[in-house]
Parts: sequence; C-alpha cells; structure tokens
Amino acid sequence: MVRGHVSAAGCFARGVKVSLSRPYLAASLWLIQLLLASVLVLPVSNALHTLLDHSSSGSRMVADPDFGWWETVRRVHPDLLGTFPDAVVNATSIEGVKSSALAELQGVGATAISLCLLGIVLHAFALGGIFGALREPQGSLVVFGREGMRRFPAFLAFTLAAMAAAVAAYRWIYLVTGEAWHDRLNDLDTEGQAIALTAVRLLVLLVALAAIKLVADSVRAIWVARPDLPAVSRFFAGLAAAFSRPARLFGVLLLYLLSGAALYILWIVFDPSAGGEARFALVPLILAQQVFVFLRSLLKVGYYAGVSEALTRVPSPEYSYVPAPAVDTPSIDRASDEVPVERPAGAI
Amino acid sequence: MPRAKGRSALLALAGYALAALLGARAHLTAAPLTRPIASYQISCRLDTEKKIVEGTELLTWTNTTAKPAPTLQFHLYLNAFRNTLSTFWRESGGEHRGNRLPESWGSIELTRMTLADGSDLLPALSYVSPDDGNPYDRTVAEVQLPRAVAHGETVSISIDFRSRLPRVSARTGWKGDFFLVGQWFPKIAVLQEKGWNCHQFHASSEFFADFGNYDVSIDVPARYRGKVGATGVRVEERNLPGDRVLDRFRQESVHDFAWTADPDYIVVDDVFREPGVADTQIRLLLQPEHSSQQGRYLQATKTALSGYGRVLGPYPYDTLTVVDPPWGAGGAGGMEYPTFITGGTHRMAPASVQSPEGVTIHEFGHQYFYGLLASNEFEEPWLDEGFNEYMEDRVVGAAYGSSHPVLTAFGFRFPIGIAIHRPLDTNRRYFGVATEDVLASPAWKFRTRTAYGAHVYSKTALVMATLERLLGTPTMNRALRLYADRWRFRHPTTADWIAAVHDATGRDYRWFFDRTFFSSGSVDYAVEEAKSEKVSLPKGLFESDGRLVEQPPRELAAAKGWQSVVTVARRGEVAMPVDIVLKFEGGHVYRSAWDGEARWKRFRVDRGPRLLEAIVDPNETILLDVDRTNNGRLVQPDPRAASRWTARAVFWMQNLIDSLTIAW
Repeated sequence: MVRGHVSAAGCFARGVKVSLSRPYLAASLWLIQLLLASVLVLPVSNALHTLLDHSSSGSRMVADPDFGWWETVRRVHPDLLGTFPDAVVNATSIEGVKSSALAELQGVGATAISLCLLGIVLHAFALGGIFGALREPQGSLVVFGREGMRRFPAFLAFTLAAMAAAVAAYRWIYLVTGEAWHDRLNDLDTEGQAIALTAVRLLVLLVALAAIKLVADSVRAIWVARPDLPAVSRFFAGLAAAFSRPARLFGVLLLYLLSGAALYILWIVFDPSAGGEARFALVPLILAQQVFVFLRSLLKVGYYAGVSEALTRVPSPEYSYVPAPAVDTPSIDRASDEVPVERPAGAI
Repeated sequence: MPRAKGRSALLALAGYALAALLGARAHLTAAPLTRPIASYQISCRLDTEKKIVEGTELLTWTNTTAKPAPTLQFHLYLNAFRNTLSTFWRESGGEHRGNRLPESWGSIELTRMTLADGSDLLPALSYVSPDDGNPYDRTVAEVQLPRAVAHGETVSISIDFRSRLPRVSARTGWKGDFFLVGQWFPKIAVLQEKGWNCHQFHASSEFFADFGNYDVSIDVPARYRGKVGATGVRVEERNLPGDRVLDRFRQESVHDFAWTADPDYIVVDDVFREPGVADTQIRLLLQPEHSSQQGRYLQATKTALSGYGRVLGPYPYDTLTVVDPPWGAGGAGGMEYPTFITGGTHRMAPASVQSPEGVTIHEFGHQYFYGLLASNEFEEPWLDEGFNEYMEDRVVGAAYGSSHPVLTAFGFRFPIGIAIHRPLDTNRRYFGVATEDVLASPAWKFRTRTAYGAHVYSKTALVMATLERLLGTPTMNRALRLYADRWRFRHPTTADWIAAVHDATGRDYRWFFDRTFFSSGSVDYAVEEAKSEKVSLPKGLFESDGRLVEQPPRELAAAKGWQSVVTVARRGEVAMPVDIVLKFEGGHVYRSAWDGEARWKRFRVDRGPRLLEAIVDPNETILLDVDRTNNGRLVQPDPRAASRWTARAVFWMQNLIDSLTIAW
C-alpha cells in the first residue's frame, strides 16, 4: 500500500483521527484509569474528611494548598502515607528499592504499590484491546475486551520486559553515570557546564526510553498484525519493524508527547482546581478534570493508531508479506475465531 | 612580661604610622571598638599548586583572668580534615550539609613556636581532646610555658605554620583556582576563670575566640591581583618579585580572619548609606556565571544592613565583603567571618526562591550574634545560629515576603507554587524532632545532626518569635537592643539574654525560657470538643405553687437559644498561656485567656446563640505548637476542602497512571 511519502505527522494525525472515530477506546482507557485511581478514593476521601471537615484549617485549604497543614498531616498521621514519599525517593535513587522499605509502607502508600501492580496488568490488557480493536473496521467494547484478553499473556510479557528495560536504562544510563561522575561534575568550572552534562545524560536516557517504548509498541503492533507467523517470528518481525522506520516512529512518539505536554501546559495555565470555589465549583471541577483525562486518553489511542499506521503504511523489505484483501466481516462474527484468520496489518 | 607589652605597643604604633602613611581610612586611627586580647600579625604565602598556605604569625595575647596561665591552648582547626579518625570526620560520617566530603585532606603543622625571648615552645606542645578524648584528634594543642603568664600580662608568641587546604568542604578549602581560606592559622583559645575554654572541631559546631586586631599580609600569584577579599580593609597591594602580588588587610576588634582569592571574580564595589548611620563599603566578589544576580546580592546586603541595624544597632565596621562561591564549592557557601560573608546561588534562581537573598541576609546577621556579641558557639550555639535565624525570618519576611520551595528533579530545579511563610513554615523541621533533645545542649551533644539543626536553628527561632508575640514587637526590639548594646564584644550567655529580657520588660520570663530553652517538652493545644445544641424543654418534676408538677415553669419552658460546650486540651508537656475564641452566629465572639496549665478547660454557654467555631491560640502566638491542625474546630462540618482535595488526588493519580504507562 505504498502511497508516496508518509510523514510522522501524517501518521500521528491519522492515528488521532482513528482515535476520534472510535471514542470507546479512549473511554475504555479513561475508565480503567479512573477505576484504578478509585482504589484510593475512599481511604483518601475518608482521611481528608476526618482531618478537614471539622478543622478550622479546612477553610484555608479550600482554595490553595497549605504547606503547614500538609507537613503536619504527614508527621502526625504516618498511618496515612507512611514512608511512601521516602520510598519513592529511594526507589528513584542509586539506593534502589529495599525490601525493608516495602515492609514499612502503610496506608495509601502501601495501597499504591498494589495499585501499580494492578496498573501494569490492566495496561497490558488495554494495549491488547487497543491494538486488536484498531484492526477492526467496526470496533466495539466487546472487541476491545476480547482482543485484550486474547493478547493478554504475550502483552503482559512485553510490558514487563519493557518495564525492566526502562528501569535498567534509568539505572545504568542516568543513576550510575551520575554517581560515577559526581566528583567530576563538581570539578567543572561552571554550573552551566554541569547542567549541560546532566542534560546530556537526561537526553540519552530519554532516547533510550523512547527506543524501548517504540520497540515494545512495534512488537505489539506486529504481534497483532501478523498472526500468520510463529510467535518467535512475530516478535523478531516487530523488532525489525521498529528498526526499519525509527525516524517515523520517533516522530509519532514526539508528537504524542508534545501534544500531551501542551495539554498539561493549558491545564496549569488555566488550572481549574486553583482559587477555590470562586473559579470552579466542585462538580464543574470534577468534570473538567475528567474531560482532561479523556483528552489525554484520546491522544494515547491516537498514538497507538499512529504507530500502527507508521509501521504498516509502507511495507518494509523485511516485512515482505503480501497484504490480503480486506474482508468486510463484522468483527463480532469473528469473535469465536480460534484459528488465526486476522487480516494483515496493511488492511487497517 | 613588660618587655612583651612594650614590643606590642611599638608594633601597634608602627602599624598606625604605616597606615597613616598609606592614606588608610580614618577608622584605623580611631579608638578601637574594644580592648584587644588576642591580636595577630600574619604574613602568608599561597602555593596555588600545592594548595598550601605557609605563614608566620605574631600573636600578642593578654591574660585577662585573675589567675596565672601556665599553659596556652590553640585551635588547629584544619587538622579536622587530616584523616578519617578526627572527631569532625567521625561525627560527620563523611558528610557535611548533606554533601559528601571529598577525600581531600587538610592539615596544619606548626614548624616553629617561640616566645619573644626566643624560648622554643614546640617541644612542650601536645595534643589534647577535651570533649571526647579522641587520641587521634589534632584540633586542639596545648603548650606548657616556661613561666606562667600573670594576670594582666601580655605575651608575644611567634609561630611558623604550614596549612594544607582540603578540597572545599566544611567552610574552607579550594576548588580549581578558587580559595576560601578559613580556620587556617593557629588560633589561641579563650581563657576563662575556670580555665581554657577550648573545644575540638566538631561536625556540628562553630567557633569561639577573643577579640583582637588583625594585620594580615597575603602573598598570591599575580593573576589574583585585585581578586583577593578578606576580613577588614585592604590597606596595601603591591607587586612582589616572581610574578606575585601582596595584599595587606587590617581590622580591629574582630575575633577571626578569613580570606578568599579567585582570578575569575567580578569585583563590585558599592556603598550602603542610611541617614544617621556611617557608610559601609560593600565589596561583592561575584562569579561571572552569576553576574545577572549582582543586583540581587547587593540589594540583599543592603536590606540586611538596614534591617539588622534598625533592631540591633548600626553595623560598626567600615567594610563588608560578600563572596559568591563558584560551582562545585558549595561547602564554602553560607558562612560568616568578621566583616566577611559567603553567600551562594544557582544559575537558575528565580526570585521566588529567595536565593541568594536569604543566605546573604542570614550570613550578614551573624555579624551581630557571632561577630559582635561572639557567644560561645560550641557551648551555646543557639545564641548565634538560632537568634540569627529568628532575625533572618524577620528581615527577609519584611523585605521579600513568602518564599517558594524548589523541586529538584533530574538535576534541574523547579519552583513550586506553594507559599512558605516565615517564621512558622521555614522552621517546621523542629516539629519532627521536638522531644528528642533539650535545646540548651552543647553543639556536639545532640542526638543527631538533624536534631542539632532543628533545635539550634529552628526551635530557637520559634521560641524567639513566640516571645516576640507574647511581648509585642516594640518590647522585643527593646530587649534585643539592650542585649546587643550591653554585651557587644563581651561573649554573652543565655543567662545574659534572659536578664536583658527581664530588664527590658520589667518582668521575670524565666518560666518561659525554662519551658523552651531548657526543656525537651512539646507544646500542643487542641480543641477537642465543640458542640452546640438547641435548648430543649426540661423534663421531670418542677415546683409550682408548692406542689411538684411535670410541667416546667413558664420561664424555663420559654427558654430558647443554644447550649454550647467547648473543651480545650493541653496535649503537650509544656504549658503556655493561650487565648481561646468562641465564634457564635450573628457575629458574636467570646474571647478568653487561659494560662494553659491544666490538662483541659471546658467552656459552657447556656441559652446563647449558636456556636459556630472554637479556636485555641487564634492569632498563632505560640509558634511552638507542634500540631496546629487541631487548634480550631467547626461545629458544623464543612466538607468543601476535603471534597476538592479528594478530586485533586484522584485526578493526579489518573495522570500518574497514564504518565507511568507511557514509558512502557
């Protein structure tokens, strides 16, 4: 399906278009994230109501955060957050995660660990659903769920592998170099040079993380697109696909990150949660927050669709299968397919 | 030793004559601010390659005690960096101010020590460790004299020394071509009636010394021409053979001398002028990288000169040198020496972070508590660090308002939009360790270094700010001024401060200091109960026309209004007088003062308006209260704040989940 030059921007734009045409995918992501976050709603809400509802400090907290209140609550109610903030700091430092730190976690902090594990599992499921549903001309939540479950074991493995690679990259590219260069950094003539060196380390880390992500997403896309291949071949075809179009894939990722950052900047500038009720009452505030998260989910689905687009718009030499003609069979009819009859990716 | 006295007088005369010849400033010929006890003439040479300062020191010391002194004791501070067995290194665990100490060793060796008559004192020198008995610590030396120094007698001692500077760590050292040379020469300790007051160099303590006059000549390579800053006034700069240059500085009535050199310095001269106060020459030695912050440094310096001067009296010296250390020399920053302070800033330092303003003002404040009053920082560190922290909060708060914290991520600093109010928020570290130690403890005897900082700096600042709120700012200012004027150049103690408060207020405040400075107890008042219920119709048997009936009398039956109950409790060990405010519907407010001594106090209001809120210490007078979230209680719950923060928490959790999954 060669149609001349295919740019990253074009892929991302088409991806966003696909995402907009199938809002149930973004809605599913939004719902998963909301449900995950909801695990903390009750403990957080109950604790806050207990601490604030009858307290004169509460009125100061309606509009803006109060540093003193926050410091006091952390100190006086260690059962609420426990040592979670310290554990996060340790986990992101050269010290790494210590089992003793996990044993000390309490309250919301301890719940957050379980939440992270649950998030990983649901993330793998959601990606299977998204990539699978993107291939369907007429998707639905049913397709999303079915595809998610079908791809789940493999996608969980990819997610865990990508996570491990990302953590390793953070440790070995950023932390270890920081530790090794600590004294040299101080020996530099100016802080500007030190900042530049740190920026280089950070940039290398970001490029490595981007590469890990793009490889993982390529493997996922090809895994879904090439059910005709054996598992190992699918995996390597995915790897090869990532390396065959690195610039285009990286461009799609960059556009996704930039558009997400733009959303955050807009949020921070117009921050509906600041200023108290004078700006936004509670219900409009919650609505605004959820619309924001939904928009981010739309972009996320758009990114995955863009990756599929980038990988399949122009078949690469290594990716030399012949696309089969599109079959206009409703996806629901194929729900019971046990044998791989999926159409190749070129038909998306 | 009359001979020594005569020699000292001759030297002083020669010095003044030379100064006059050189056209030095008028202050040099004016009467000294205080009688010198320990004066130094030092000539030194900096070897920039070996990082060594070699010097010759002529110490002129007078025994002002009533007893003869058979020995002399000296601080050899640089030996703290000699090896990992020193008391400083052991206590610090190889860290200082949160930074790893470089394994770059420093030391000070005495190569000659003679009396004016030529007697060699070195064979009689030994090292002592009065604080911890550490046999490997070499920061205190004792010399047996061939003859005791009598009361009022002055001796002169010539000392040759070689100081090896460490890579910048705790307040001294080098980085590249930058040098901050502090605690670098053999310094005589303070002799008191009970003997020598000489402590080892600890990880959590600073200094104590007698006042004197300093005349220091510094020989540095020619590339440092005009780039040397030091305590006092530069009276001479001249070329020396071998492509070197000599800078000579003098200062009277100080108790230490530090200097710095860096060929990269941008030298900025300015003058502080305020009506009714003598001008102060400000010399800012700025890193080129921070040139854009020149105005902020100078403005902060002038703010400090004005702010502290208005409360504690004018700054009495003619000069003030402000040093901006380079990148990688953070250990040299945030330090004070007489007429000489080091600040510190970052390339990215938004004004809201108040750096370099905060550190510059803080270090200048030491010119009073460390410099002029010169309390014993080993034994009563709060009299300098804590009092100064309190004054810094006042001066910075008045000039710059609240600051904002910085989030450091991936080596970059981002200001966060949360206001940090002075003095309460800036000193919150005390609350976490409130009961761990008694504030009035020697610097090295706190349980941890965190506890040292939290008590010496933060608790003292909160105690002083609480006292200010109890006394009122004008009275507090009177007490501070009385203390500063009365004890200038005289090493006051905590008892002297308490006496100054007594004299300024006409009241005895020992109870307050017993519960704060000399106690490890915490303060915590709380409104434990606040309820208001409609007055209900009384039930039971009531007298009516001599009979018992079930109908209440008309006046009771007609009673309306609300019955309110408030219980205020003292949860902490320490009692303080507190105000209590009850707010009722219709704008009615009931105020009560409670001495706070009992464990609890209950207020009951019958048939009054409906109670809305009860607050203990509504004006935030008692800043030592470790938990202010329980100081006020609403009768009717207001769920708005909790609901909004729950919404925020869920929202950011969703975003966090979304962002984390981006990576994989």
